[in-house]
Amino acid sequence: MTIALVGNPNSGKTTLFNQLTGNHQYVGNWPGVTVERKTGKLRAHSEVEVVDLPGIYSLSPYSNEEIIARDYLIQGEPDVIVDIVDASNLERNLYLTTQLMEFGVPVVVALNQMDIVRKRGYEIDSAALSKALALPVVEISALQGEGIDEVVAAAKVAARDGKAPQPARFSEDLEALIAHLEADLPKEVAPQLKRYYAIKYLERDEKVLAELGEIGDLEGHVRAVEARFDDKADAVISNERYNYIGGFIKNVQKKDEPAASMTSKIDRILLNRVLALPIFVVIIAAVYYISVSTVGGYATDWANDGVFGDGWYLDPVAIVNPDAGAQAAYDADAEPYDEAQEAIANYLDAAAEAGIETDAVAANFLAEPGDEVLEAMGEGFEANPESPEAQAALAAFESQAAKEGIVAEYTVINEEDLTETDYYVYAGAENEAKAQAAADARNAEIEAEGRTEAASTVVYNFDGEVASEEEEGEMVPQGIQVPAPREHEAYGIWIPGIPVLIGGALQAVGCAEWLYNLIMDGIVAGVGAVLGFVPQIMILFFLLAILERCGYMARVTFILDRMFRRFGLSGKTFIPMIIGTGCGVPGVMASRTIESESSRKLTVMTTTFMPCSAKLPIIALIATAVFGGVWWVAPLAYFMGIASIVVSGIILKKFKAFRGETTPYIMELPEYRLPRLSDLLRSMWERAWAFIKKAGTVILLATIVVWFMSGYGVYNGQFMWVGEELMDYSFLAYFGNAFAWVFAPLGFGNWQAASTVVTGLIAKENVIGTMAIVFGGGELPWASEFMQSLAVSSGALALVPVAAFAFMTFQLLCAPCFAAMGAIKREMGGINKWFWAAIGWECGWAYAIAFIIFQVGKLAVLGSFDFWTVIAIALIALILFGLFRPMPREEDKAASLETVGESA
Amino acid sequence: MTLNDVKVGEACTVAHLNDSGEIRRRIMDMGITKGTEVSVTKVAPLGDPIDVTVRGYHLSLRRSDAANIEVVPA
Repeated sequence: MTIALVGNPNSGKTTLFNQLTGNHQYVGNWPGVTVERKTGKLRAHSEVEVVDLPGIYSLSPYSNEEIIARDYLIQGEPDVIVDIVDASNLERNLYLTTQLMEFGVPVVVALNQMDIVRKRGYEIDSAALSKALALPVVEISALQGEGIDEVVAAAKVAARDGKAPQPARFSEDLEALIAHLEADLPKEVAPQLKRYYAIKYLERDEKVLAELGEIGDLEGHVRAVEARFDDKADAVISNERYNYIGGFIKNVQKKDEPAASMTSKIDRILLNRVLALPIFVVIIAAVYYISVSTVGGYATDWANDGVFGDGWYLDPVAIVNPDAGAQAAYDADAEPYDEAQEAIANYLDAAAEAGIETDAVAANFLAEPGDEVLEAMGEGFEANPESPEAQAALAAFESQAAKEGIVAEYTVINEEDLTETDYYVYAGAENEAKAQAAADARNAEIEAEGRTEAASTVVYNFDGEVASEEEEGEMVPQGIQVPAPREHEAYGIWIPGIPVLIGGALQAVGCAEWLYNLIMDGIVAGVGAVLGFVPQIMILFFLLAILERCGYMARVTFILDRMFRRFGLSGKTFIPMIIGTGCGVPGVMASRTIESESSRKLTVMTTTFMPCSAKLPIIALIATAVFGGVWWVAPLAYFMGIASIVVSGIILKKFKAFRGETTPYIMELPEYRLPRLSDLLRSMWERAWAFIKKAGTVILLATIVVWFMSGYGVYNGQFMWVGEELMDYSFLAYFGNAFAWVFAPLGFGNWQAASTVVTGLIAKENVIGTMAIVFGGGELPWASEFMQSLAVSSGALALVPVAAFAFMTFQLLCAPCFAAMGAIKREMGGINKWFWAAIGWECGWAYAIAFIIFQVGKLAVLGSFDFWTVIAIALIALILFGLFRPMPREEDKAASLETVGESA
Repeated sequence: MTLNDVKVGEACTVAHLNDSGEIRRRIMDMGITKGTEVSVTKVAPLGDPIDVTVRGYHLSLRRSDAANIEVVPA
């Protein structure tokens, strides 16, 4: 048995669906599978299927959602229709009921939101309504879960009886004409659908006309109706439906003039002519501030660095004050140690280059389990810095390095604020002056460049045997004597990260090395980098669900319609845009509510310019790693999305194919409603789960492929494991290099960045996942390697922020992932020229904007003016021309509409 | 007089809907039919669209569409 749920938008249909199906639903509307409708099994009655059709006001053929609902009902699949009627909006909801009564399928009316009716102080007599419609009517409260069993029982009885409803009666004259029409319909029309087809024919319904064709004297009948009623036939039918409702509504609904409802009071503020826009900006900014910057940011740090990193402390102090608590205590010990380790490593490298033996020192003081240098020391060797042998090796090394006057120089870029520190490491007191001189020379250079804020030097003593010196109040850092931090557990309750646990388990079972690398550096690094963003995405989806459910989203379209209309779009365009910030797939699908075909196509083409949640990690990475966590990167990313949509709208609207009719805007402003927490959580979970599922399937597969391609390659004509050192010879590098040149004028023409563009097409989450593999070998932090690669490809260290921003812009604006492309394909009606126009426009736009950003940035930073600068200026001019050229004359409006029709 | 001329807070009765194709059908689907009482409750911050109350609920539509709805003061 199949129950079809039909009702107006905002009638509580989804809530009822959730109540009916409980946890037995299998939501199939996102992403990818059947987008038309949700299907679920009735709670405790798994033989009963419940189909949730899109919320509609009418069954006219003017929006895709209405067509979907209509086609489903005509095909006669459902055994019973449950029509959810919002009792607080009875007349208009019954309008749809009068249409549902014409399919010959039993109808049960579920009268929802009676509590609101009572609160407003009037009564609805459901028995009288049932009598007037000759249909079973059940009072329910979908929100409270009341009356659900009764609806199920009534639906079962109605389905068993199979009695077709008595259709709404119209005025005598019209009924007579309909009877004539019915008689003239072709024989193929099923008897129970005769009235439906006759009425649709009267309305000159395009779909029905196409289906039945011109038959006999039907057109004559229609003209007769129009002559008799002095109006278009479809208007006559609408009128008659409302008249039918008006005939009994007074007996059903005892209504006093309602006092100012809560909704009106709220709207007095939220839709206030002066306050509405500022409040809107604040609300939207708050949503993204919470989900991206503050709560979501902390959650992501915790998930990325903790759960999918080394581990995290169960520490309430740190939540209140991140500068205190166990993690802060650990960091205070660990930071100087890490710095010292780096100094030692660099000094050993410099000494080794000068031909000094370093293995014994490296093995004892620096090596970690598995390092090659330990093998070089031979079987049975165990690192022990305290041992006499180690100390002797150290002393020998030091005296030799001091004698040779080795000073190691290296640069570290701070990932937080992009400041640069040059280190000068020496050994032996006699070399201090030499290192200091090098540092002083560098300081003078920095001063000359005017970069004292961004660059500094440190002189480092390899060993602290020389008494530490005070220098301007700062202790001169010392090398080998800096103690290692204690075990994590010594500082607080430490919960190891998943990679640590998996790595430990793999080592415990003696896993093969290549498999260990695949799992740790490939799968755990790639999938972990993606899953780390789940908390942030859940917060964003939760907040969006609140906006959707409470009724504010509809108000936003009301506030913004005027603005969007200037770009040939309607206020409703905003809904796909904002849902698109969660995921492009439902965003593109949400374009269906837009009535005008040309605006709908335009919206489909541009919705994915909004940064979806899978692109958030890219923004977060660039904002924190390159721009030191400044607040404006994320808002700017969203602003670029909005601006891209608006500018694209203006430019494209001037092309013939998009001109068409102006987009209508007719929108119900629903009552404000307090969303139910369980509905919000369900909505959040459904969307987040799709994200997690993707991480476990598509992304898992992609990371394995990327890991293999980046780990293996051909070096000196030999197929081999290239690893981190020779990654430039990996298959991925060959692959990326094949088209990295395309991105050279954008500042990120290196194979790593180029390959992320491709893996990003599989899923945008892969961009970060791939970067984690190619830059980090799976180990965090790898952002500095990313910046170094940009410094090379853009040509200057100073251009790194510009190139990084261009990289982010391109990733945000270019063609979306395959899932979203699939949604675009469906909305465009297949892989046709509209589909390619959409993908082409997105890629072209992304390339142009990233190009302009990098070239203009280069001009601003370096002041260099070259061939590419000219191209960038030409691109700007082209965009400005597209923006400001006058709307071409409408000399052939009919022809342009025809073009749209043909291509559609 | 059309619905576009009605001031905020005033009510009127729909007399006739001028033909404007699909949009008219939509407007009628939403319950604005001959003889219906409509009152204008709000104007959007940028002056357009307007928010009307019809059949006990709030509906917003553009001024250009409201101008196709002929009304008489209630």
